[in-house]
Amino acid sequence: MTTATAMTRPASSFDPRRLLKLREAGVFAALILLFILGVVLSPSFVQPSNLLSVGQQVAQIGIMAVGATFVIINGEIDLSVGSIYALSAITTGMAITAGTPWPLAILLGVVVAALAGLLNGLAVVLLGVPSFIVTLGSLSVFRGATLLISNGAPISLSSEQPGVAEFTLIGQGRLFGVIPMQLLIFAAIAAIGIVLLSRARLGFNTYAVGGNQEAARLVGINVKRVKLTAFILSGITAGIAGVLGLSFLSYVQGVTGTGLELTVISAVIIGGAALFGGSGTMWGTIIGVVFIGLLQNILNINGISSFWQTVVTGFVIVAAVAADTWQRRRKTKA
Amino acid sequence: MPSPLDKADAAGDQADVAIRIQNLSRSFGPVRALEDVSFDVTAGETTALLGENGAGKSTLLKILAGLQPPSGGGVVAFGENVESYDPNTMLTRYGIAIVPQELSLLPDRSVAENILAGIEPGNRWFPSRRRMITRALDLLADLDLVVDPNAPVRTLDLATQQLIVVARSIARECRVLILDEPTAMLTPAESDRLFSLMATLKRAGTTMVYVSHRMPEVFLLADRIEVLRDGRQVAGWRRDEVTPDQAVAAMVGRELGQFTSRAELSVARATDRDESVPALALRGLSGRRHHGVDLEIRPGEIVGIAGLPDSGRVELLHNIFGGDAGDAGGDGTVELLGRPYVNRSPIESVERRLGFVPGERRAQGLLTSMSVAENVGVLTVKALTSAGLLKRRAFDKRATELARGFRVKTATMDQPITNLSGGNQQKAMLARWIAIDPAVLILDEPTRGVDVGAKAEIYEQLFALADRGVAIICSSSDLPELLTITDRIAVMSEGRVVDIVATKTATEESIMTSATGAVTHTGTLA
Repeated sequence: MTTATAMTRPASSFDPRRLLKLREAGVFAALILLFILGVVLSPSFVQPSNLLSVGQQVAQIGIMAVGATFVIINGEIDLSVGSIYALSAITTGMAITAGTPWPLAILLGVVVAALAGLLNGLAVVLLGVPSFIVTLGSLSVFRGATLLISNGAPISLSSEQPGVAEFTLIGQGRLFGVIPMQLLIFAAIAAIGIVLLSRARLGFNTYAVGGNQEAARLVGINVKRVKLTAFILSGITAGIAGVLGLSFLSYVQGVTGTGLELTVISAVIIGGAALFGGSGTMWGTIIGVVFIGLLQNILNINGISSFWQTVVTGFVIVAAVAADTWQRRRKTKA
Repeated sequence: MPSPLDKADAAGDQADVAIRIQNLSRSFGPVRALEDVSFDVTAGETTALLGENGAGKSTLLKILAGLQPPSGGGVVAFGENVESYDPNTMLTRYGIAIVPQELSLLPDRSVAENILAGIEPGNRWFPSRRRMITRALDLLADLDLVVDPNAPVRTLDLATQQLIVVARSIARECRVLILDEPTAMLTPAESDRLFSLMATLKRAGTTMVYVSHRMPEVFLLADRIEVLRDGRQVAGWRRDEVTPDQAVAAMVGRELGQFTSRAELSVARATDRDESVPALALRGLSGRRHHGVDLEIRPGEIVGIAGLPDSGRVELLHNIFGGDAGDAGGDGTVELLGRPYVNRSPIESVERRLGFVPGERRAQGLLTSMSVAENVGVLTVKALTSAGLLKRRAFDKRATELARGFRVKTATMDQPITNLSGGNQQKAMLARWIAIDPAVLILDEPTRGVDVGAKAEIYEQLFALADRGVAIICSSSDLPELLTITDRIAVMSEGRVVDIVATKTATEESIMTSATGAVTHTGTLA
């Protein structure tokens, strides 16, 4: 049997065919088409100031989508991120109002968000309740908690209070007066997400668990820890986004961020991740986030009502998944 | 016995042909599962389809059942060219039904509802319960089956459930019934019930295609025998034109059919190591569906576990490895390399160099969304991680070495594992465990769905592992396999080890006798 030796060669680092086969290629092509459409429809679209404002607008969604990508590749879902966003913003806002130094207040908000994510994860992992149900419940629980601790009253940060000016600079400031700080923070968090997902052991285990949980368990991967980590990451990113939201508007109330989870999940799905887990990439998610941002921007500057924007976004999600399914089916037929 | 109707719409010479398979081909990527297969299934007869695992039988059946379309060639059913391959068309238009290995019943619905689901008598939205029961009773009576039509299917044993699937097909007036290894999970007594049902159907003129690799059954039931090997049709006879030996020879084909057994390869080995500490010792081990199992395995020894599918052998393997949380708190002890191993879990087993290749490759083995390299290298990840980051280059190199060591044939290491053939997937599953330098390797059905060539390679590799001192415990429903690769065989029946024999002195018959409880065991069969 010596003639039939294994034809094994390591993955080459650069192979043009691989580049074409990348799962993000389809979404990326759609993104470019959308961009061209934007240019054709309105000349103001390509103004750097407009594009940077898109960056500003998608940053918070993007940050949350980084965490959500881990959850979704795990084959789970986190519907509570909109509530965690508000919980963290209220916590930070109340802390600042109470005179806590702003860095500590931020930390507090993010820690509370991480704990919320931990609770989600524990319920999924220890009780074995599907994450859809767990986070459907915690969506309500965290929202209620937010309303309770704020007593339903909105929080407005007064610029006369010491430290508030610095704090609001994070959300409102621009590097060199040009690049929105929020966009830079999104870029940094996305970079961490890329490294964690594609270079770290955590990423490897995430794909393994999402692709086949039972097989992953039987090769000694700590499935519970991997899932728990994903929910904590999702909580943390939602928390960071919440703090940024507060910083940007100097204002937060109990119902802030309602429905954000759907935009976040849409971005991840448009980016090519499958809801049943095991596939998806951080780059895909980033493209999905930018896609949603550009789409809304194009509809905006062309004066299309926000009601229509909601309708179009809905169609895009279904179309993206349909295109992916079609491509997959064609591949298996070969 | 073709009905007059068949004759009417068939063209002359095809009058007796129920299904004509014409140059049928099917490939999966680079793998050719079926190549240019042609034969006829005569109406009213039982045609047996023989072939080793991976010979293409299941692919052919899936095409006939409309579960996947062919890549080339076609099927003519009762003189009509099959245009659209989907289960509903195959059943309602051409009357072709399949009884699959994995029964697809609704476990919480009653027998009557299962038989008549979708064809309920009476109003379509509000079927009459009373008439359903009557219909079901009539049908069951026609088939000589004594089953309560009100019983939920969940409460029936597997064999009866299978008969219900047959009844369901008959209720839909199927003309051709395909049975895919129906006796694989049955006791001899249960098989006899199925055979008598088949006889009833045959008298009623039903055409049957019967898939099995059990020769006595095939020669009992079939009028015609067709043999597939490596995706091609290699022989076909009337039953009286052929002997079981000839049929087996056609199935196995190449010289690899006769594997050199371990007993022939080595004589002195067993005595060499008798002094050593057992690699694995089970004392009174109990858990889900197994009780009081005592077994010792020495380094370098290959011990087989034989038994019927419900004998508890798979559950025993999971308990040793710690794969089933339901076994926690069960009685008995496991000693690994002389040290007691109490809180068993997959994570801890990997640490202790205890490997497990599960039997359900797709459900329990493959990391389905990952590449060949990632599947083979999964157990190197921990060692090749520093500061949380995986050293990708070292990982790729190690995975390539492991794959090469087990002769995994793959175009590239970064293609999806699901692109590989069953045999190469299985080699990848085995290769991954070499990374932990296993002291004990637990295998469940190590060559299920693997072609003959890969089988031979896997056997060679297992022998090599044993020669390096790895203790291997291997459960298999393939008795010739156990007789080939093991030193000793433990036979299980109803959760207990009823016999432990030296492979040299064992035969298929002697093992089956113990496994079915005919001699040593006095309990009742399920």
